[in-house]
Amino acid sequence: MKFLVCIKQVPDVSGNVNSGRMVLNAYDASAVEAALVLTEGTDSEIHLVLIGPDSAKETIRKALAMGASSAVHFVSAESDSMDSGSIAAQLASYCAEIQFDIVLCGKQSQDTDAGLTGGMLAAHLKLPYATNAVGLAYQDSYDGIVVTRQGDSGQEILQLPLPCLVTCSNDMNNPRIPSLKGIMQAKKKSIDARQFENNSLSSTRILNYEQPAAREPARMLEGETEEKVTALVLALVQESGIF
Amino acid sequence: MGKILVHVGSQGGEAKRSSLEVLSHVSRKIAGSDDVVVACVFDVNPGRLEQTIGEYGADDILMYMDPAYESHLNGVLAAGLEDAIRATAPSLVVFASSESVKDILGAIAVNTGAAVLPDVVSFSAGSGFVEAVRPVMAAKSLARVRAEGELIFVSVRSGSVEAIKNPKNPGTTTFEAPIKPADLKQQLKEIIKAADETVDLSEARVVVAAGRGVKDEVGKRLVEELAGLFGGGIGASRAVVETDLFPATAQIGQTGKVVSPDLYFALGISGAIQHVAGMSNSRMIVAINKDADAPIFEYADYGIVGDLYTVVPLLIEEIKRHK
Ligand SMILES: Cc1cc2nc3c(=O)[nH]c(=O)nc-3n(C[C@H](O)[C@H](O)[C@H](O)COP(=O)(O)OP(=O)(O)OC[C@H]3O[C@@H](n4cnc5c(N)ncnc54)[C@H](O)[C@@H]3O)c2cc1C
Ligand SMILES: Nc1ncnc2c1ncn2[C@@H]1O[C@H](COP(=O)(O)O)[C@@H](O)[C@H]1O
Repeated sequence: MKFLVCIKQVPDVSGNVNSGRMVLNAYDASAVEAALVLTEGTDSEIHLVLIGPDSAKETIRKALAMGASSAVHFVSAESDSMDSGSIAAQLASYCAEIQFDIVLCGKQSQDTDAGLTGGMLAAHLKLPYATNAVGLAYQDSYDGIVVTRQGDSGQEILQLPLPCLVTCSNDMNNPRIPSLKGIMQAKKKSIDARQFENNSLSSTRILNYEQPAAREPARMLEGETEEKVTALVLALVQESGIF
Repeated sequence: MGKILVHVGSQGGEAKRSSLEVLSHVSRKIAGSDDVVVACVFDVNPGRLEQTIGEYGADDILMYMDPAYESHLNGVLAAGLEDAIRATAPSLVVFASSESVKDILGAIAVNTGAAVLPDVVSFSAGSGFVEAVRPVMAAKSLARVRAEGELIFVSVRSGSVEAIKNPKNPGTTTFEAPIKPADLKQQLKEIIKAADETVDLSEARVVVAAGRGVKDEVGKRLVEELAGLFGGGIGASRAVVETDLFPATAQIGQTGKVVSPDLYFALGISGAIQHVAGMSNSRMIVAINKDADAPIFEYADYGIVGDLYTVVPLLIEEIKRHK
């Protein structure tokens, strides 16, 4: 079985936005973990693809250290200005030159929350696909996979034939932390670095960033618990519009 | 702009509130006097859809009524939408950002050659372009974005615009599904609904959300009882979903759902940005947490520092006295 996992390097949003620390997109870490679980003990291959600046190599190394087999790195200093549409177009042209059974993406980028690339790539490749997967397993016959996805109401269980594409939620698993052995082995794994010119023009662009309007600080209710509760319910009755 | 197509999400013949927000906003604020607002809806039976959609401002309705739309299946919905887009030839298509829409937006954009701005909180449209504001970095920051093209898709976060009636007398055309589930390579096997999921979270006027501070069945019953008083939805943080006390469908936040009720209770939730990303659109936020320094209080309108196991039972009694 051959997996292709599309991974992205993103700014760490859990700390200060401007900390500058870059990490493997959490949803992509779950995609890598899902591929590792499915291929455990088989001679399957997990191939990675990343479009990003030279410095994104450390993110590729991290995913290799988790256990992926090999990677291609489309090196571009301008990948930040590529929208999901142009990322998906580039990924699609790469997919046309390789063999794969299952393509995994993250369900969204942690920094932009766009959530478009997976579906776009599936459309380019005319693959059956499922998004927002929280579970992934082989069909008994190994000629397809069973995806559990989080829908609007309830979880939908789908059967997809191979080849297919799935976008992964971080609710699917807890990605492993690379072991020391994994980190050592990753140093020997091949990263096919290719300089790349982005030819497809993005149809969307970011004009600027703004700070969300600051909220008024909360009114903290004081007193004995009973008094706090009475004051709260009074406020709810007067202000919430639902009584 | 000419024609603007609005996708109206529905279930069982009832339009979703988030879609009525979008439809109303488009008809009142986006469409110019020469523009025609066309709504398209995909369901099994029309129910009250025609009436509701007319009330919220559609000039025309494309009703795709077919058993194929009984459950969500991306290929089936995508084919229906692509058909509606071909039939309408709009310059702009607007959606409410539901899970079903997120599932097909990228694919139909590629298939129709559209530029897409997903999950926006506000937007304006001109000839050949749309400018919008969308939360990024787990809603820590807002990006002003611009799309250009002959066909542009915009999906709008629930609770971002107002659903105000704007009655019209639309003409309706009914279609069958252009693609049926049996035509697809993928198959929907089953839908698992959590037993306690009676109220649609993204539509609920009141949401009671549990965090890791809710530790057991006793706490869970408090959450259910409080929600029950308002006919509200039950939400959860990722940390408490991981304990299996609440279903994953209840998760609110960056990974989970975006909700925008009139009233949101955060019970034993610390207020991590990834959680706040899914609930800060709520109109009124109440936080109950035993830690006075919990970040959730920075987003709340009212806060009570205390143990939820003592506060919530009193709160339930006090609310009952006012009902
Ligand atoms: C990419 C990514 C996506 C994520 N997406 C989501 C998401 O969609 N939704 C989400 O929720 N999280 C999400 N998270 C996780 C998020 O970062 C937090 O870990 C999570 O929200 C914490 O949940 P919590 O507040 O319930 O738990 P904790 O942070 O453990 O907080 C528990 C709180 O309960 C309080 N408490 C404990 N006992 C009591 C009591 N008896 N009475 C009152 N208060 C009490 C404590 O003081 C504490 O503040 C995501 C993380 C990442 C990296
Ligand atoms: N620069 C990139 N290189 C490789 N894959 C990417 C890149 N950007 C996005 N992806 C894939 O697309 C998913 C996110 O899509 P989106 O939210 O549209 O950016 C990620 O989880 C990756 O799987």
